[in-house]
Amino acid sequence: MGATLTNPLRVGLRQERVIPPQCLVIFGASGDLTHRKLIPALFELFRQRRLPSEFAVLGCARRPWSDEEFRSRMAEALAPEVKRHQSAWNQFAACLFYEPVDLQQPADAVRLGERLEAIDKLKATRGNRTFYLSVSPAFYASGCRSLAAAGLLKDPSRSRVVIEKPFGTDYASAEQLNRVVQSCGQEQQIFRIDHYLGKETVQNILVLRFANTIFEPIWNRNYIANVQITAAETVGVEERAGYYESSGALRDMVQNHLTQMLALTTMEAPGRFDPEAIRNEKAKVLQAARLANEEEPWKCCVRGQYSQGGNRLNPVAGYRQEPGVNANSTTETYVAMKLFIDNWRWQGVPFYLRTGKRLPKRLSEVVLTFHEAPVHLFDAAGGSPTANQLILRIQPDEGAGFVFEVKAPGSGMRSRPVDMHFSYDESFGEPSDEGYVRLLADAMLGDPTLFTRSDEVEAAWRLYTPLLELIEDAPWQLPIHPYESGTWGPGAADNLLAEEGLMWRRP
Amino acid sequence: MAPQLTLQAPLELPPDQVPAYLESLWSQGLKGSAGAATFTLVVWEPSWLQQQLVRTGRLDGPISGLLSEELLTAARGAVTDCGLPPSTAPSAPELAWALGQQEGQHSAPDLRGQFVDRAISSHRPRRLITLAPTLTADTPLETLVAAYCPLPEERGSGEDACGDVVVLRGGMGAIQQGLAILQPLIEPDLPCWVWWNGSLDESPDVLEALATPPRRLVLDSSIGSPRRCLDQLVQRIATGQAVNDLNWLRLRSWRESLAMVFDPPSRQGALQHVVQLDIDVEGQHPVKGLLLAAWIADRLGWHLQTSYRLPANGDGEGIGAEFQRHDGESVQFRLMPVPVGLAKTHPGALVGLRLICAPQGQAPLCVILCSESGGCMRLEAGGVASMELAEEVVPMPNESEEMELARLLGGGHDTTNPLLAAAAPLAAKLLPE
Repeated sequence: MGATLTNPLRVGLRQERVIPPQCLVIFGASGDLTHRKLIPALFELFRQRRLPSEFAVLGCARRPWSDEEFRSRMAEALAPEVKRHQSAWNQFAACLFYEPVDLQQPADAVRLGERLEAIDKLKATRGNRTFYLSVSPAFYASGCRSLAAAGLLKDPSRSRVVIEKPFGTDYASAEQLNRVVQSCGQEQQIFRIDHYLGKETVQNILVLRFANTIFEPIWNRNYIANVQITAAETVGVEERAGYYESSGALRDMVQNHLTQMLALTTMEAPGRFDPEAIRNEKAKVLQAARLANEEEPWKCCVRGQYSQGGNRLNPVAGYRQEPGVNANSTTETYVAMKLFIDNWRWQGVPFYLRTGKRLPKRLSEVVLTFHEAPVHLFDAAGGSPTANQLILRIQPDEGAGFVFEVKAPGSGMRSRPVDMHFSYDESFGEPSDEGYVRLLADAMLGDPTLFTRSDEVEAAWRLYTPLLELIEDAPWQLPIHPYESGTWGPGAADNLLAEEGLMWRRP
Repeated sequence: MAPQLTLQAPLELPPDQVPAYLESLWSQGLKGSAGAATFTLVVWEPSWLQQQLVRTGRLDGPISGLLSEELLTAARGAVTDCGLPPSTAPSAPELAWALGQQEGQHSAPDLRGQFVDRAISSHRPRRLITLAPTLTADTPLETLVAAYCPLPEERGSGEDACGDVVVLRGGMGAIQQGLAILQPLIEPDLPCWVWWNGSLDESPDVLEALATPPRRLVLDSSIGSPRRCLDQLVQRIATGQAVNDLNWLRLRSWRESLAMVFDPPSRQGALQHVVQLDIDVEGQHPVKGLLLAAWIADRLGWHLQTSYRLPANGDGEGIGAEFQRHDGESVQFRLMPVPVGLAKTHPGALVGLRLICAPQGQAPLCVILCSESGGCMRLEAGGVASMELAEEVVPMPNESEEMELARLLGGGHDTTNPLLAAAAPLAAKLLPE
């Protein structure tokens, strides 16, 4: 969300929720995520005075760095920011510590405990600890076990664990991982991160729905004809081929980000604004969701893979030509599917989800299309009246739009659609926090609202299990459709909607 | 959130035995627990108003140091009985002083320092030291000590981390004497907070002794004479000490509401063209209003040219000032006391704010903020009908002092909030001598 001007009166007002004294322990501190996302997010919180004085970051990885080396490496990685705020960085850097730790070694976990006690004394961090597992997913289970064995998770009110995505690779592995982490600590201590939930506009779905009375009465099958949820990227696989080859769009985007948008759009109103009440409703609606055709899942899902595109001057490589990608790869970079939700509110309403790489625009949105007026009284400029649409734009140009019919100027009574537009930039002008700033702050505050609970994760994996099994057991039934880079995906995806007389929205 | 009494009955000890007793308590009696590695909280808790209300039979005991609803109701009743203006806030020192002139010999148990608000106890203070001066100046020093552990629901299922409670009670002379034993009770390796929960006019030597840097000071610039309050604030901030002003914190909803008006980029340009700022406050305590004006001036880069007293009206005299904007144009500022039927708890609560912007070639913009419980008729008068009007009602936060304090303790800083550090000196200059 880019700001055009800055409101000088807004400076320093984001202090309402101050993070309690604590030590944030980052495992995988020598990795990319630490210097690209986590430390910048923490430095931002520090500059906003949302971190207390009694605060420390303990970086942990196998490399034999010292505190000083960790500080200087972080300063190097954040050089432009550090240069702009040198004095603040000097204060912040004094909170950074490093301990070489291999969590697979029990002795290291014990030494970690001793170091944390020393930091508690030095920085008065009161024994509060947030452990951030920024490590390979293969180490999530063993990492939690080591922390528990060292007694570092025994106080649920003082210690918590943040786990990055992906949480499992299918229903069975997610269930197994949940069993392990729940044997190490209580559910309230586990914060499964989905950085999409850190986006202001994703959170706004809740506010729009439940802080306004005009939407909720029509937010159901009586008024809504279908819902489309899109997360489109213009980029290709970039440097993530190693990970992406084994995950694909279904695991990388649909199971988590799109499913979270689906849950927020379709959940019932919680009784109160309380993390558990919200997560209960999300879990319930995901448990009621199913593929449109579970017996023949290939009929409700289309997979695609981008091929070469661009032009002679700016050619764009196809997925199979990307570095690190198998030349015969059958990994999907695009997926579209149709779902239903079997409950009173949504029975019979089709939900269309799609995501892909190398599409023409980078955008995420939820589009609710309403039923057409029962009788067409007026001629429409476009032949037939356009159904009303409510568009929740997650990114870019964050906001909302409402498409409705008005009388076209002139002597006749012809109608045409217009767009009523709300933009975060125009109304607020302030950049919102980067997703990690919000989510890190929430984790350190112990607020799990924007983190996924075990039953939500399992319900999400269960939803896509028929597809994952099909890809595994009979991939020819769910073939990869190539699509040219820079287009809106394979034509087969259009057929998903065409049988209902619908089309994907072209944003 | 109901306050909790200490779980253990306090033990009365001779003052000189307290440090040794506490040391033995932790090394022997509570063996295995080193106590919470958190912070020490020292509270100056005179509770003059509560003591006077109890003494004059207007309030039942015990004396707890808490601003309960019953206490506020009794205090509001006493305002009229004492012949004070209705705009007198219950926590204004004038009320306690006026009650002090009245007859009465009622007494009640004094439990100051033994109530621990759950908001505070959930942070597990390592040591809570309360100085509780009594009305009778020659009461000898009593020293009470109790170990304290949070209730099970506050501490989770982890290991128990405990703290202790020390109360020094007596007449002013005795309290002075008690200061000598207080210093060794403050753990040097842990942060120490000093909450001056009284008037800034009283006992300057005690304040000086308690609030030495780097201890973090919590005070309330609405309690005490305006000049003394602002001077104390400015001097303490200048030393580099972390100063937290509850009066400033209570401005949060006003600052938020004003910022909200100018969030749309289409409005932000108007902030460069402010020509007039008016603030109405309850009663005769202008500090809160001055802090708000100083914050606005600092954020918008205005320079103070002059400040002066405005002619008295029926409700007392106001304060006027002229600022100069970046572009050399002037901004007129007026702060006026207005009468209210039912004063809020603290002196000088804000009633309304009006900001007029006159961008060239555009219609003037008038922003009016009103308090939830008061009107803004005075600010709505004067030709604002011809301007673009942005009017907001500022919600009244309903939080106790202890909740505010707990928020500070929960995530405190060892430096003063830079916005307060910038606003306080300017507010002090705005107050004419």
